[in-house]
Amino acid sequence: MNAPLIWIGLPAVFSIGLLFLMRRSGWATAVSAFVCLVLAILAWQVPIDQLIRIGPLSFKVTSEIVILGRQFILVDADRSFLVLVYLLGFFWFLGAWVARPGRLFWPVGLGMIALLVAAQAVEPFLFAALLIEVAVLLSIPMLNPPGHPVSQGTLRYLIFQTLALPFILLAGWIAGIIETNPNDPHLLIQAAVLFGLGFAFWLAVFPFNTWVPLLTGETHPYTSGFVLSFLPGVALFLTLGFLDSYSWLRDNPNLPTILQLVSTIMVVTGGIGAALQKELKRMFGYAVVFESGFSLLALGLRTSVGLQEFATSLIPRFFALLLFSFALSIFEQEGPAPTLENIRGSLRRLPFASCGLLVAYFSLAGLPLLAEFPIRQALIEAAAGQSLVILAWILGGSLALWGGGFRLLAIMASNQQPEWKIGEKAFPAVLLTLAMAGIVFIGLLPGVVLPGLLDLIKVYTHLK
Amino acid sequence: MNLDQYVIAAIPILMLSSLVLLVGFGWRGTQIALSVQYLAVFWLVTLNWPIGMAAVKLVVGLMASAVLATAQSNAGENSPMPRSGQVFRAIAAVLIWIVVFSASPAVMVLTHIKQATSLGSLILMSMGLLQMGMNRQPARVVIGLMCFLAGFEILYAALESSVLVAGLLAAVNLSLSLVGAYLSASPGMEGDQ
Repeated sequence: MNAPLIWIGLPAVFSIGLLFLMRRSGWATAVSAFVCLVLAILAWQVPIDQLIRIGPLSFKVTSEIVILGRQFILVDADRSFLVLVYLLGFFWFLGAWVARPGRLFWPVGLGMIALLVAAQAVEPFLFAALLIEVAVLLSIPMLNPPGHPVSQGTLRYLIFQTLALPFILLAGWIAGIIETNPNDPHLLIQAAVLFGLGFAFWLAVFPFNTWVPLLTGETHPYTSGFVLSFLPGVALFLTLGFLDSYSWLRDNPNLPTILQLVSTIMVVTGGIGAALQKELKRMFGYAVVFESGFSLLALGLRTSVGLQEFATSLIPRFFALLLFSFALSIFEQEGPAPTLENIRGSLRRLPFASCGLLVAYFSLAGLPLLAEFPIRQALIEAAAGQSLVILAWILGGSLALWGGGFRLLAIMASNQQPEWKIGEKAFPAVLLTLAMAGIVFIGLLPGVVLPGLLDLIKVYTHLK
Repeated sequence: MNLDQYVIAAIPILMLSSLVLLVGFGWRGTQIALSVQYLAVFWLVTLNWPIGMAAVKLVVGLMASAVLATAQSNAGENSPMPRSGQVFRAIAAVLIWIVVFSASPAVMVLTHIKQATSLGSLILMSMGLLQMGMNRQPARVVIGLMCFLAGFEILYAALESSVLVAGLLAAVNLSLSLVGAYLSASPGMEGDQ
């Protein structure tokens, strides 16, 4: 048996199979969620490149497969990444049954996950750029389902993600030259600029992030949430891999300053943008920008605390985005477009969806007792140790996001509709409650869940 | 006959075809311009790759333009662009060409590539960006992306000759044209309800 075949080949085959099941949402949900759960359990339990004995049987899952002369490698240290990706896939596919994001969600979503895992596994890394581009192209029919007018957000997303490809490929070419000529300062600058631009497009870093609120505002919140969870998530891991591989990039003295600057701008623009929005879907987009800013800040701090906080923030981030998207989907189904005007008094009409949205929003904002709070606190402390100016701006951005959240709370809690009524069906209410409980649980007991995520960064031995 | 010595002739062909794509002469004109453009791209790529491998770019380009044109002919012609818009775009293209001819020597020094490769690549990349910036129609935006990628492929062919990269770039180009065709047709397709 072979690890890339199990965690890349198998989901790819199932995603094709799901094309035949996609009109039966129940079956599509069951199959895709089951496949993800099984793959997550396998990644958790089955060691790679070690002999496994089950009774009289003994076998080994090898780490490597060669396709057209290129290697796809998933080593034992990648198992944490695989568990994370497929566990999240399980939750996303499960929720899709209620959120109804369109029939293409299940096959395309599973295919995207397989491609993103392949991007993480491929050697040399240059091919990751091509695989991510294929994943982006695959996601377009999911974001813009048949029968819907083409959204400008989708087009901009396509443009910006495609523009990343040449920059990464050219940077990889220059990186190859640097290995033979490591002391040429011009080459180092050129490679750093090209890498920087490539990753800025991939990760929707300021100023290339205008498509994020546009995309969330015009597409189904569940599909945009899925794309914004997985694509930048995997791109962040690739960033870590590149930084770990190239000492000239890792030791570039300007890198922390640039990362801190752009991340601060993202936190501030995301926070203020979210606070000023009237449409909840666009508010979600700005909250994603805000959250991505903190992820980049964690990398920009270039301390062990920053790196640890980056790893531990992944689960809270993904859960908050999932809950936010899910709650927005319920709002879309149950009434007119979710704007501040239309959700007035919604706590009495859709209490579970309203609470879910508020919990997700405030978790992203870093409210105490919610999942992101311990991470934000540590990051803000670390940032304060490096620059008080950055600290002031980050606090400003965070306060703006909090302000927007309290405005949301006030509008949702207004007594325009005097009678209480539970508008959600039982299953969505249960899912929302479980997700909220998960976020509160992580916030109350971060030491139980989050340290396990530190395994994710063990592979990056050269990073602090 | 060695075509390499005449390769600089590919540059005016690229300028003209990308101008036709930018200004817009209906879908027949677009398909012809796109096909001619990929022929010129093939010519430039043969400077660095064997003809058999460079032919992949030509075949993929022709297939991609055929896919896009088929989708557009099914979707129907869009309203023609006003004359003032066409003039404005042509002037913008001329300005871009001036910048490209000024910047080309710097790119040649940086990457040690030939003049024709550098010019062809920069012209297509910049015209692609212009096309993307000036259009909101999905098919036109995708054509802009394809121009941009074609320009990049001319440059990248001079730097890297991996078969797998060539194959994956071909897959990306074809997928891009399929996405363009899908986006053009999707508003009229049967929805989920």
